[in-house]
Amino acid sequence: MKKIGIFDSGVETPEEIILAAGLIPYRLFGDPTIEPDKANEHIPPTHCVWTRNLLEKAIKGLDEDIIGIIGTHGCDRTNREFDIWLECLNFDFMFFLNSPRKRDESALKFFIDDMKELITQLEDHFNVKITTEKLRESIKKMNNIRSLLKEISEFRKKMILKGSEFHALVKLAQQQDKDEVVKILESKLEEFKTRNPFLDTNIKKVILTGSDIDDTEFIKYLEELGFHIIIDDLGVGTKYFWDLIDENEEPIVALAKYHLNKPIHSTKFPSYERFEVIKKLAEIYEVDGIINIAQKFCEPILYDHPYMNKMFKNLEIPYLFVEVTYNRESYKQLSTRFSAFAEII
Amino acid sequence: MSKAEIKSNKMLNATMGLKNIMGRHFLAIEQAYRDGKPTAWATSGSPVEILYAMDVQPMLPENSATVSAAQKYSQNFIEMAEEEGYSYDLCSYFKTNVGAVKSEADMIKGGTRKPTFMLSTDVICDTHVNWFQVQAERFNVPHFTIDVPHVVSNTNQRQYNYFKKYVVEQLYEFLDFIQEVTGHEYDEERARQITQNSWDLSMVWQDIYELRKVVPCPISTRDTFGGLFPLFTMPGLKEPIRLYKKMYKEAKARVDNGIGALEQENFRLMFEGIPFWYNLKYFGTLERWGAIIVYEPYTYAFSKYMNPNVTKEMVLNQPIEAMAELMLSFWYIYDFETRVKKFEETVRDWKIDGVLLHNNMSCRPNSCGLYDLKRKLMDEADIPCLIIDADMNDPRKLNETQVTNQIESFIEILRQRKKK
Repeated sequence: MKKIGIFDSGVETPEEIILAAGLIPYRLFGDPTIEPDKANEHIPPTHCVWTRNLLEKAIKGLDEDIIGIIGTHGCDRTNREFDIWLECLNFDFMFFLNSPRKRDESALKFFIDDMKELITQLEDHFNVKITTEKLRESIKKMNNIRSLLKEISEFRKKMILKGSEFHALVKLAQQQDKDEVVKILESKLEEFKTRNPFLDTNIKKVILTGSDIDDTEFIKYLEELGFHIIIDDLGVGTKYFWDLIDENEEPIVALAKYHLNKPIHSTKFPSYERFEVIKKLAEIYEVDGIINIAQKFCEPILYDHPYMNKMFKNLEIPYLFVEVTYNRESYKQLSTRFSAFAEII
Repeated sequence: MSKAEIKSNKMLNATMGLKNIMGRHFLAIEQAYRDGKPTAWATSGSPVEILYAMDVQPMLPENSATVSAAQKYSQNFIEMAEEEGYSYDLCSYFKTNVGAVKSEADMIKGGTRKPTFMLSTDVICDTHVNWFQVQAERFNVPHFTIDVPHVVSNTNQRQYNYFKKYVVEQLYEFLDFIQEVTGHEYDEERARQITQNSWDLSMVWQDIYELRKVVPCPISTRDTFGGLFPLFTMPGLKEPIRLYKKMYKEAKARVDNGIGALEQENFRLMFEGIPFWYNLKYFGTLERWGAIIVYEPYTYAFSKYMNPNVTKEMVLNQPIEAMAELMLSFWYIYDFETRVKKFEETVRDWKIDGVLLHNNMSCRPNSCGLYDLKRKLMDEADIPCLIIDADMNDPRKLNETQVTNQIESFIEILRQRKKK
């Protein structure tokens, strides 16, 4: 089956529309073991290292089943770099989805218009018909995946499932054929029900937030330093599945409402509401601390950090902010900071 | 004006009046506070005309940040923001503003006052909205933001139409917001007067730019870098129109007498990006090679009425719709394809020998695409280009010696080309 690559710094792309077109939505992730040499010929090195990495991979060649790209408004990077992708890549189908910054009634109407345009262009280009019925089916399928992920996520709280293992599952769900994903998640769910909890009294339970983290090795690295990611506030995480889409409403309206009402990403307005989301999760999951990660040059996270720092300090919830370079070698240099935080909390 | 009175190699006499005009702007802000009149912060690219039309005194923190830089305070303010936790990599205008507010700096140092409310848009960058979110929280004032969809190279007309509809709807919501916060009502007649003035101001500025096509070029960045401020702080007032008309008249006299801003004009350059406000005199360095900047997209962009779909009639009769259209088609944020085309046309029309591209570490939306722009211009249109790495407000990020060496080599390339 053919795939549509998704260039999105959040998870704002309505995968259901792609599924209804008979295609597999395939979120693009980076590779922290490579250097963005070719991308650096197009984008200055003082710009987001993660999106440069994505461009590097795209220039070198994506999965051969990928027959088009959807770039979705996340931050200034996706906005501006989309044109560079148009210059560098040779796909007949490339669409920029202006997922709105705001979350009010006008934004809702606009998002509906933009999704309708996406449908029109997919239909015209791939000679398919995206019917209401197909959209309903794909919403149902995605809701099933969301429910499964949410149920599995809770095994992190029961200290049965490691954050890294869960992270890998969410990544898989964002790239593979959704029917396969359902099978895998159902089987994993059964497995976790019979798995014994891991016992480690020294483990530090934290919520992980910040720029989207797509390298599972980074989560493993945090685990090696004594942390357990009991919950998260990430795109490769809870933001992908926390709420369900209303299956009774008109599909496009339901999709738009879902994206505008889900836990807010730092790229949307007002991003300070993210504090309330994290605070609530911190309370429910009784975390020992909060780790906020900014990929180097990730402006939305960098702007919000001092506010988060102030607010969590007021609540006396331990908070650690770290800027990370998207490169596995560089993780090691951060161990002192993470270890010191683990000591404190 | 006799030929003897018309001198080259200096700022226009009229431009000296800019100080007074900007001084009046700052006085108007002070007066608004004394009178208890509503005030608003606005990001550049915002429809400032609406504020004037609804009797709200605008303040542009970006303008204030440039004042800090020119007065050599920006680095100190930036470092204060960094102490508060704002990254070294964030926008230097933003950090200058954080430091200026924190230290309660006077207006002459680039300080700003607590506004009644804030207006931001993501016309130019998404981070404008983040900036005002930070400061609205600090001051505890209402903040309205206008979300402007991003036009990319393959945006079609159908998309453009609903983009516009979204912006128009938000502009009407903004009128309601102002009324709710200030009690002031939208007066169509007043709005018409304001937009008429805004249109006139921009047209004179564009006329001045037309004169820059002439060889030798009558004015340099000594007039345009600072000269642009009324365009985004006072669009809608009459005073700056008078100033621009004087500038035009004086520049025209130079043209009529064959006098350029430089005594010897050897190379005509274009400068893309925001200048180094903390070191404007640096641009005078170019004069040692007889090089003059004759066009800056940044200073031209703010004379925003250049979209052929936005006629004077539309501006006067449908100002909200016109503003929405302009916010979607601002020169500074053109999609890549349009940007390349516009550069090629400009190089041709202004008879430009080479292009300096400022890879501004503080303005990633603008610096994104510079590498491809350079490649396109050089490979497809044979236009020499040079990328310079620096920052608009943070002096720590300009390596003057390195940049001078680069420019010197670039000028040598231009010289060799001229010999051919």
